[in-house]
Amino acid sequence: MSHLAHTVAVRASGVDMFFGTPENQVVALQQADFEARRGELIMLVGPSGCGKTTLLSVIAGTLTPQAGTVEVFGQRLDGLGQEELTAFRRKHLGFVFQSFNLIPTLTVMENVMVPLLIQGRPYDEAHARSLAIIDKVGLKGREEGRPNALSGGQQQRVAIARALVHEPPLLICDEPTSALDKDTGGHIMQLVRDLSRSPERCVVVVTHDHRIFRFADRIAEMEDGRISRVVDDPKLLDTTHL
Amino acid sequence: MYRLALNMLFGDRAKLAMLLCGLAFSALLMAQQSSVFFGIMSWTYTPMVNIRAQVWVSDPMVEQVNDAKPLRDTDLGRVRSVDGVAWAAPLHTSFVQARMQDGNFKLITLVGIDADTFAGAPAVLTQGRIEDLRLPDTVIVDEWGAALMGRMTVGPDGKPRNTPLKVGDTFEVNDIQARIVGICKVRRAFTGGPFVYTTYDRAKGYTLGARRTLSFMLVEPQKGVTPAELCDRIERDTGLKAWTSDTVIWSWGERSLARNTFWWFWTNTGIPFSFGTAVLLGLFVGIAISGQTFYSFVLENLKYFAAIKAMGAGMGVIARMLFVQAFTAGLIGFGLGAGMAQGIGRVMIEKGMPPFVMYPQILWATFALVLGISFVSALIGIIKVSRVDAASVFRG
Repeated sequence: MSHLAHTVAVRASGVDMFFGTPENQVVALQQADFEARRGELIMLVGPSGCGKTTLLSVIAGTLTPQAGTVEVFGQRLDGLGQEELTAFRRKHLGFVFQSFNLIPTLTVMENVMVPLLIQGRPYDEAHARSLAIIDKVGLKGREEGRPNALSGGQQQRVAIARALVHEPPLLICDEPTSALDKDTGGHIMQLVRDLSRSPERCVVVVTHDHRIFRFADRIAEMEDGRISRVVDDPKLLDTTHL
Repeated sequence: MYRLALNMLFGDRAKLAMLLCGLAFSALLMAQQSSVFFGIMSWTYTPMVNIRAQVWVSDPMVEQVNDAKPLRDTDLGRVRSVDGVAWAAPLHTSFVQARMQDGNFKLITLVGIDADTFAGAPAVLTQGRIEDLRLPDTVIVDEWGAALMGRMTVGPDGKPRNTPLKVGDTFEVNDIQARIVGICKVRRAFTGGPFVYTTYDRAKGYTLGARRTLSFMLVEPQKGVTPAELCDRIERDTGLKAWTSDTVIWSWGERSLARNTFWWFWTNTGIPFSFGTAVLLGLFVGIAISGQTFYSFVLENLKYFAAIKAMGAGMGVIARMLFVQAFTAGLIGFGLGAGMAQGIGRVMIEKGMPPFVMYPQILWATFALVLGISFVSALIGIIKVSRVDAASVFRG
């Protein structure tokens, strides 16, 4: 096995994804190739409808492509059944959603505990680990409050804590700053970067927000259902159409 | 996850309140209506409760205790001669008109018991002595009947009030005087009228013109002979019908006159249909309100369930979460509904109307039906969540 194989966290090759009926087909991904490495924070950018979210869903194992292969940390996802995909997500993935998706009737602590409880961890262990990460995201003392009592930035901090509490090797962030102002968005991305930085972890961020491009190690630009180019320096991107 | 599932449920107080209202109302309706139904049905075999004897003998055509087909007095001798009979006493029951002091008429249930043994006499006398029935023209009236047969008088406050009959008061049956010498406490009957106890011979006098006045014979088996054995012997030797006095309607004993009476009313009247409809209504209302409310709760939390799915929770975990939520609501709803039914029952029992008998079986059946409602509600939610695509969480 080559050195490169060890460093690859996510690899999607020749992925096709269509929606709708054969007569009225919408092409979401067409021969899409994508690669993300361990230890990096990669952003997927592109105009609306270019297939970013679909590719993210394919990588997350919540959508199964019609063609192509998807490999996440050496595990081929395209051959797995629903139950195996669910188990894979449970163990390997953490999610930060655009609209936070924090359960309003649960406390901050309970929301953060969810991934650990889904894994079947004992309640006390889940509580202790959640407490520690809530402290890390700067919300110590707010554990027993409801998400609705927090600001947007604070809610996203809770979401980040929830995404990382079970220490997943792959963190998926879907437009994590779109609901936040510039400063808060910057702080959130700094937090994501600080907390998720690990030689074994890969962070994939889908975003429109060019203000946060500076946090990326690499940026993959999408166009018409495929990756059009990958750059190391955000300044090389033309952001006018994003 | 189940603890969080419960916190999700309890966190939405408005939905929870609505859900509990639906389940509690449903449980209340089912338990209360069933208890009133069994209360009314228990009144159908009241004579079996008020008149205590181990074996009852009747005409072979009798189907239930309120349908006495008179026997000849000589049948008593035939029954007494059956091997295993310790004693046999006559019993007369009939509905007759009583003329009150104020000229008003009341329909009464006349019960004539053996003057020698007082077999079949009421167990509890609140006033008077049973032996006083041996005095001329005497009767004992039940407490509720005394009030029903009472007369309107003007109270000290100037308002009209009902004054119950008391010991010493008189009325007439077929122009023959009946003087009250005692007040007894007995269970009320489906057929309504007040119970008026007298001796068998005097009852014959009160029912002038009737050729046969022997309604039933009350029989006691000798030591070592079971009521069922004695029934067999009486039927074999006399051709009459013999019954046991077992009042447990859930039993399978075909010889139980109470049980036969219960099922006769079940099959020959519209009572079960009427109450059954109310119970079904409770069930459907429960399913409709609780199902709808729980579904709306699931709809409101759908995106969170989708997020939980995306995070790696299988449908098994989510289904169990929904079952925990629905069954917990069901349990609380049942508790509230059954508690209210008990409370209403207590008031009913105190007032005596309508009758109320809450068997443990009613509570168990109500509990099972409420859990059934919860199950259906959870199932509807599970179907909805199972159709949600985990990928939908990425669509904003």
